[in-house]
Formats: sequence, C-alpha cells, structure tokens
Amino acid sequence: MSPVSEALSSTSTTDKAAKALLPLDDFTWNSWSAMETQWRVERLLSRYVACIDEDDLENWPEFFTLDTCRYEIITRENVERGMPLALMFCTSRGMLVDRIVSLREANIYPQRWYRHIISNVLIQSVDAECLQVQSNYVVLQTRRNGQTDIFSAGKYLDRIVLSKGELKFSEKRVVVDTHRVDTLLVAPI
Amino acid sequence: MSAHSTHAYTGEAPKVWPAKVNQIPKEVFGDAALFEEELKKIFYGDTWHAVGHAAEVPNIGDFKTFDLGRVPLLIARGKDNQVRVFFNSCTHRGNQLETSVSGNRKEFECPYHRWLFSLDGTLAACPGSKEFAPDFKQENFGLAEIKTEQFLGLIMVTMGNPPPLKEWIGESGLPTLTALLGGDGRLKLLGYQKVRYASNWKGYNDNDGYHAPLLHTGFRLLNWQGGKGFQRMTENGHVIFEAELKPATGNGFLKDPSLIAFKGSNPERGSVITQLFPMTVMTKHMDVINLRFAIARSHEVTEVHYAYFAHEDDSEELVQHRIRQSSNLLGPCGMVSMEDAAIFQRIHIGNQTPGFAEFQKGVTSLTEIPMDVKQNDETGNLPRWEHYRKVMGFKREGEQ
Repeated sequence: MSPVSEALSSTSTTDKAAKALLPLDDFTWNSWSAMETQWRVERLLSRYVACIDEDDLENWPEFFTLDTCRYEIITRENVERGMPLALMFCTSRGMLVDRIVSLREANIYPQRWYRHIISNVLIQSVDAECLQVQSNYVVLQTRRNGQTDIFSAGKYLDRIVLSKGELKFSEKRVVVDTHRVDTLLVAPI
Repeated sequence: MSAHSTHAYTGEAPKVWPAKVNQIPKEVFGDAALFEEELKKIFYGDTWHAVGHAAEVPNIGDFKTFDLGRVPLLIARGKDNQVRVFFNSCTHRGNQLETSVSGNRKEFECPYHRWLFSLDGTLAACPGSKEFAPDFKQENFGLAEIKTEQFLGLIMVTMGNPPPLKEWIGESGLPTLTALLGGDGRLKLLGYQKVRYASNWKGYNDNDGYHAPLLHTGFRLLNWQGGKGFQRMTENGHVIFEAELKPATGNGFLKDPSLIAFKGSNPERGSVITQLFPMTVMTKHMDVINLRFAIARSHEVTEVHYAYFAHEDDSEELVQHRIRQSSNLLGPCGMVSMEDAAIFQRIHIGNQTPGFAEFQKGVTSLTEIPMDVKQNDETGNLPRWEHYRKVMGFKREGEQ
C-alpha cells in the first residue's frame, strides 16, 4: 500500500488509545468511592498547579513521594519516536529541589507568569498501590508587557499513591504537544 | 562622549563598516532587507550548512525534513544504506513532497498526481505518462539532490561552490570535531529539544558558542570550572574550542550531584565546541553530545533543533546517564545555561538602536582581526564577523 492510501485507510491511533482509556466508573480505593477518589485526585491536581501558578515553587517537591519519584517533561515528538530525551527529567526528590534552587539562585530570565488550566481528569486504572491518572493541561504564559500566549499544551500521565494519608505523585510524566519551546522553559509544568 | 555612528539612524544596515575591527553596526540585527541578501549570499551561497547527522535516520527508509533558509529539504536513508538529501519537492509541479518532520517510509508519494519516488529518489511511477509531453522521460524526473558531503555522519549541504568539506572546515578543526562526534561518528540519537528564539540568527550565533562564563552563575555555583584549553579561529569564520573540565562535586549546591558526574568522557576534553560559519554550533560538555541544527527563519526569528546523542558502544548505564545530563543541563530548559535563551532575545531588542556592538575583551589592535586569542576572550567572534562582512560585500571606512 502506498503511504498516502495507508494514511487514509488506517484507524487513527488516537481512537485505539481512547478505547483503552475508558474510565472506571465504579470502584473503591482505600475505602473511597469512585466519586470521592475522583474528587481527591482533582483536588491534588488543583493544588499542584496552584503551587506553580502562585510561584510557591519551594513547595513543589512536596507533591512527590520522598523515597523514589520521577518527574519528566518530554515532547510528544520524542515519545512517538521512542526517544527518551526530555526537556526536564528528575529521578529523585533531590533533583526536584535542585531545579528550584537553580532557577531561584543561578538562572537569569525575564519574569513570566504561568496559568495552568486542567481538564479531562480521567482515572485510568486502579490497583492496591496506585492510581494511574491522565489529564489535559494548557499553560498560558503572560510576559511582563502584559501579552498572554499559549505556552504549552499537553497531557499529564500521573501515578498517584497514598503516602501517610496524603495523595502524592510517585511519577508525573508531562507529555508536551507544543514540542517547539518559545525561548525557554524555566518553571516546571 | 561615547562612540556614536555618524550616519542618520534608519534601521538600515550601512554598506560601509567602521574602520575599527571591534565595532559591528547594530543595524545588521534588525534589517529585514538585509536578511534577503544574507539568504542569497550566505545560505544559498558558497558555504556548507549542517542539516543533520546520519544517526538521525539510522534505518533504511528513515527520513527527516529540514529547511535551509526557505528551501525545504528531505533527508532519507535508501535501501543501499546511503543517506541522501533531496529538495523536498515533487519533480512534476513542485508540490511539497513530505510534510512530516520525520518518520519511516517505503517510498515517497506525492498526493497531487500520485508520482511515486523510491528512497534513492528515482521516479518509480507516474500514472498517465502516455499522455505526457513528447520529450518526457521518466528517468529524468528523479528527485533533485542538493550537493552534500558528510564528515563522520555530519550531513552538510550547499547550493553554491565552496571548497571540499574537509578543506572548508580546515585541518585545525578536524581533530576537535572528530572528538566531539565520539571519535568515529557512530552516534545514537537520544532525542530533540526544539526552540524558537525571537532573535536574529547572528545574535543567536554570537552567543550560543563559547562565551565568557560570567553569564552562567550555574557554573560557579556547581564549582564547575574549566581548566586548561584553547580557542582557535579560522579565516572563514569557524571557532574551535577545547577545555579541560574538572569533575565537579557540585560544591554542596546540589542535593543530587550524580547529575554532574563524568561517566564516559575524558575530562581532559571535558568541554569541546565546534562552531561552523554561519550558524552551526556543536558541543560536548561532560557526557552530553549535542548538535544544534539551526534555521534562520527571518531577520527576527531563529529556530534551533538541539539533537542529543549517545555513542553506539555506550553501556546501558552510560546511556541512562547521558539522557539525564542531556535532559537537564544545557539547552533552552537546562539548569546551567537557560539564560542564553534570554540573552538572545535581549541582544536582539537592544540592538534596534543606533551605534555599534562593541567587542572589548582580548582586542589588542583596532585594525587587525585577531587570530590568536585566549580561551576567555570575546574576540573569538571577530574573524567570523570579518568573514561575514566580506561575504556580504560591505567595505570598511577608508577601503577602496
């Protein structure tokens, strides 16, 4: 088959993915109903983006598990080609802290403000240890001259665990559609 | 009284440059008409341009598209394992042939009239050819190739007539470039960081290679000091740089100093840079191998694809280390050097003013282009500016 006809006839991969991602409507997790779990996950995500948007970045590492955690911003382009290189890639709590200390103390950049919008929070799977959650995000960025642009759009792929009674990310993978960065990326997404 | 230009400010680049070799008329950064001239004389002229590395298309049928100025290119690996660079244009009516940034194909098909090209560019099928013009011969309508040469997999193209590639790079630059490309060019692509800078390509270029470490507090905080080294320039505008980089401890600044460990590379050549005229920067810092393929989009936009690599012989552990270092230290999101990106834009804005960009550190003569510079001198950029001036045909004050 020629490449063109192939492209026209094949089912899109997005359709296949959507089928695999059907939300679970009825479950209990740690004695919470599906509805309560959904509410708690949404609260976690809201608090997480508020922490970044309100420039409370010193508390950002607290959203992750202490022992082992993984935070990654990677482009959809690299993911689709099976390439591991990321825009930010932290494999320990220490690295999360280093990122913030670095942007506070070492890096020089014009101040910009992020505003995260999150939607489509979808609990994809539930097991005894963790929740796998996917959500969409958009980051609007406002420059010092007052101009606001869409800085980044993409999705969060989160692995959420219960640690000492609190929900934490043991893994947060930010898959960025906007694979061409506008000038620079300073703060986490 | 500070130095001022004597001509009325129009924003237009002057045709005559000042006699002092350390002054660059600022207008060259913001003049849209000048960009059109640069396309003709530099990007489509007698210069080689880096458009990729063979490791970006490792398998038969792999391709990548790229632009040289406004000219769309298609880089593809054929069944004979040869990497070719075509103009990304159907030989029938000129339709853009491939629209993906990269991928793998068995052949390239133009959707307009279904002309089908093999991976080596041969026109394999063209429906209805019986009714084509009387002089039509299918074998004459393969994809057009742009003149290409490779050095250890680095793919260079030109639309003009520069000297052969090795001669153009220069004998003095080849050992450094060889070291940077892992010794033999057998690289493995780890992925890209792509970025759009609101900056003229020359503003990007003047600052993305080696510059004095004053800008990067990160280096100092990490106790990351360059040791002995050299900076060399060629008369056609290349800069070659090498420096020892002592394995850093992070100086207590980092909670997780494993990020800045040296695992695979020789610290004697800890920092290796080759910057080729007009705008290709390639670096190896610690274990990060980074080739930056840049596109001059306009007088005020520069796009750069930071491609990161491992070496084919790396252990799995070293590959993982390179991924972590490459994803965190350099480039537009890197903890150490993200401020470069902010500087490109500020250079661009600040130079929309009358007068000159002035080079100072290391300038010993106002009339001679310095070819012998120290590691930290900013004069390393001046031979490139001089080459630029000559290629563009700007005279110096007092020159006949």
